[in-house]
Amino acid sequence: MANLSIPSIRQRLFNTSKHEETTQRNSSNPFAATSFKGNVLTADVFESSAKKNDVQSNEKLKASALVGSISGYGEKFQNMINSVISFGNRVKENVVNGWNKLNSIEISFAPAREVMGSLYGSFKETMNTPMNEIFFTGISAKSVSKMEDMAEARQLLADNVAVWEAAMV
Amino acid sequence: MTDKKTIKNVSNIIEGLGMNPNSEAISILEDVGTNSKVDAIREMTSRALVKRNASDSLKVVITNKGKGINDMSTVVAMSTINELLSLQDKSNAMKVLEDTVEMHSDEEVRDNARSVKALMALS
Repeated sequence: MANLSIPSIRQRLFNTSKHEETTQRNSSNPFAATSFKGNVLTADVFESSAKKNDVQSNEKLKASALVGSISGYGEKFQNMINSVISFGNRVKENVVNGWNKLNSIEISFAPAREVMGSLYGSFKETMNTPMNEIFFTGISAKSVSKMEDMAEARQLLADNVAVWEAAMV
Repeated sequence: MTDKKTIKNVSNIIEGLGMNPNSEAISILEDVGTNSKVDAIREMTSRALVKRNASDSLKVVITNKGKGINDMSTVVAMSTINELLSLQDKSNAMKVLEDTVEMHSDEEVRDNARSVKALMALS
């Protein structure tokens, strides 16, 4: 005898599986329970117009609340911004002052006496060592060309040649 | 390594002796300078003797075997020849070279003198 109950008729019409029968559905999709080539559409691809309106109204409420809060806190934001700007200016001023101080330290804090002493020392050192090389204090050709004591000239040449030859060994 | 001061001293002494009017200066250069074991000193001395452009000084670098144009060092020999070729007045040098070619006992010295003489004639 044929089963004429509603679930049995539903199953005959829509060919739902046992799994579909046991799955609880809260979607508004009227075809959610329908088998589609053996696969069940689980996502709710249909949205009711009533639900959409609810969302929009909620968003509007939130947006208006946000705008209201912003307009209400405008003065506070302004104060915050002003304080940040003043803080930045103070930092900048301190940095600039610090830099100026550093510069002035290099110039004014170095004891002049010490600077002058080191300058004099370096000058003296520079002048002492290379002086003999820059301003040649050795024998000049002019002085030798005017020499009358040939024995001395011979000795002079012999000594210097000996030094050179000794250095070559 | 020879320091610059010594090199400068030797160079100045040789140059000064080359300019010294005393004839003894030539013998000093010959005895000390041309007999040095340092090529650079021999080269300096030879050039100074040539620059002096006197018969006695030119004879030292032309007629002596192992000195001046006859030096074993090519650098010294060529430098001496170059200095001879650079002379404004070559008459003294040519006279010494001719005498050497004609009368010198050593064949090598004669040959060298002949070659330098030919070069000087062409220059």
